[in-house]
Amino acid sequence: MLSVKRKQFLIFIVPSLLVLAVTVLYPLVYSFIMSFTSSSLKVRGFGDFVGLDNYIKAFKDAYFIKSGWTTGLFTVIVVTLEFVFGLSVALMLNRIKRGKKLFFTIIIVPMLITPVAVGLIWRLLLHPDLGIVNYLLGVVGLEGQAWLGDAKLAMMTVVLIDIWHQVPFMILLLLAGLVSLPGEPYEAATIDGASRLQTFWNVTLPLMKETIIVAVLFRVITAIKTYDLIYVLTKGGPGTTTEVISYHIYKQAYTFLNTGYSSAMSYLLLLVIMLLSVVFVRLGRGKAQAR
Amino acid sequence: MRKHGLVLMAIILTLSLLSACSSGNKSNSSESSAASGGKGKKELNILMESVPDTEFVKQVVDKYTAETGVKINIEAVNYASMHEKLVPQLLNATSSYDLIVVDNYWVGEFTDAGWMEPLDSFIERDRFDTSVYLKSLFNMVGQVDGTTYMLPFYNYAMSLIYRTDVFMDPELKSKYQAEFGRELTIPETLEEYVNISKFITKEKGSTMYGSVMMGLRPDPISVEWLNYLYSSGGEFFKEDGSPRINDANALKALELYIDNMKNAAPKGAAGFGFDEAFNVFAQGNAASFVTYNWMLNKLQDKEESKVAGLVNVAEVPGGASLNGGWGWAIPKNAEDKEASWQFLKWVESFEIAKERASLGGSPTRKDVLTDSDVLGQFPHYVNVQKIIEKSKMIPIIPQAPQLIEILGRELSEAVSGGKSPQDALDTIAKEVKEFE
Repeated sequence: MLSVKRKQFLIFIVPSLLVLAVTVLYPLVYSFIMSFTSSSLKVRGFGDFVGLDNYIKAFKDAYFIKSGWTTGLFTVIVVTLEFVFGLSVALMLNRIKRGKKLFFTIIIVPMLITPVAVGLIWRLLLHPDLGIVNYLLGVVGLEGQAWLGDAKLAMMTVVLIDIWHQVPFMILLLLAGLVSLPGEPYEAATIDGASRLQTFWNVTLPLMKETIIVAVLFRVITAIKTYDLIYVLTKGGPGTTTEVISYHIYKQAYTFLNTGYSSAMSYLLLLVIMLLSVVFVRLGRGKAQAR
Repeated sequence: MRKHGLVLMAIILTLSLLSACSSGNKSNSSESSAASGGKGKKELNILMESVPDTEFVKQVVDKYTAETGVKINIEAVNYASMHEKLVPQLLNATSSYDLIVVDNYWVGEFTDAGWMEPLDSFIERDRFDTSVYLKSLFNMVGQVDGTTYMLPFYNYAMSLIYRTDVFMDPELKSKYQAEFGRELTIPETLEEYVNISKFITKEKGSTMYGSVMMGLRPDPISVEWLNYLYSSGGEFFKEDGSPRINDANALKALELYIDNMKNAAPKGAAGFGFDEAFNVFAQGNAASFVTYNWMLNKLQDKEESKVAGLVNVAEVPGGASLNGGWGWAIPKNAEDKEASWQFLKWVESFEIAKERASLGGSPTRKDVLTDSDVLGQFPHYVNVQKIIEKSKMIPIIPQAPQLIEILGRELSEAVSGGKSPQDALDTIAKEVKEFE
């Protein structure tokens, strides 16, 4: 017989496990099987079993490889800049006494807008001929840029927009970490006569390690998966300069209708993300403490 | 303090999840009304694109409901999401749409997959006259290999829309005469067009560009360039079906296109989508625009454009523009095809087609295009009819959407300098050859 406690446990846990199985596990398994088939949106069902062909094809697909590099570059740049910027703003916000709520509200706004709307707004603002950005540049005597239409600038433009959109996430997450830091190590540091920089380096950063790792990992994962911004802003152009991996996979599925092949690519992407997560989690191990 | 931090973190995570969800969550109205089945369906669901012509259909359907008691639900969505909405529906056992509209470059794919109901038996039984449609349209979004799958809904053949005041400007005209020794007029060849374009941009600087272009991947750049291709005597395929998209004619077309993009079009036009290019023209900052002929009605509307009354339409220089059109079709898996056909027959009848045309719709029927009331309202339809008759379509093959994607990518590579024009065209030919 099950004990009452056991029963209660099961009653509470089983429904949520079931929901998880249906909504998460089923699609995962389904697309995993699909990745070994010649499945296409044009035919019903799975199509023929083709073994590892889809995976081999992915490694031979020059556009897939190139989009992988583009995504890597994009991720490194945006996450680094967002982290640096986010941390400095969070540190500043942590110090101010008045108007915190006001700053909070303003900072959180970009994050609340969906990526598609962000893209559309910026497309309007950055219109080379009719947009306000080039107009304002003209007012101060600078030459307007082609932004999204210039192969040399397009990537940078997308990066800037992504930073505008995602920095609030970084700020708030890091700020949450800062707010919850204990006060004692700081008092000790003050008594020992540590300078501000020393305190930051030897007290704040080590104590923040876990929060930082979570924040950066989250951003790395979402940056690798960036799709909507590219879809709205450049469609991968000019040329293939901004074609990121998720957009490439999307096109394989919905334009070329090769669901089998695109599932295989998605699983390769998943593998990379999982490896990255493991590395990050390893980094975060070990109890954080002030040096 | 720690507690606050956690609460804050929880809020952030929830918010970021919410913002991620809402982007994917579009209206799902189509599924609610699919319940009523069987014959004599009292409610018809139609998936359409959110464009002016759909609006004009919406404005007349109340009449159908009044006459027959059948309610018409039109779900109008953005072009980009149409194909991916349609395909799963067409693959199902039954479709929640009773009627669909089909873009010309889906026709090959849809007929190949057998997703559309042949209309010949309905047409024969009800003696619906299909000879009233313009031939080039009916061969594109009407019949395929002798079987009628669609009735042409509206045309979007491309054309040259230009500013009459700029092309008549005496100062520009005399300067052009002095520099090139010939008259500045509506160009008849692409070379002359690009030359005039560059001349206007050079003369007027940043206040007026010789032409506004749209270089965004994949559709805008593809459809725009295809006008250059066809007008340079180029084609996708030879008679035997092998690609000739990388021959000398195509190369000339691409070089002219790049020249115009670099030296005449506004800065950043290589990233313009349709709306961005349109807005530049509607704001009065460009002298010409290769675009859909039905745009003229929009541009003549004072509320939407600053150039109303100063624009006209001509054929694309070189004479062969890209034809385009949408066709009405009944999905093979529609629940009540008779009910769908009844509505289709009604909406494409002369009276209703004429009414839609007088609202500003883009006609497909000859008798509507040449109707004296319609012509009185839109005198430029004389030109439009000629343009449609001479225009060429994207080849009807099952892989047309893929073709556009490849075309867009490689053209954009060539324009942005990532590849030489010949390399880009060779890549297109190579990938097109790989279509099975």
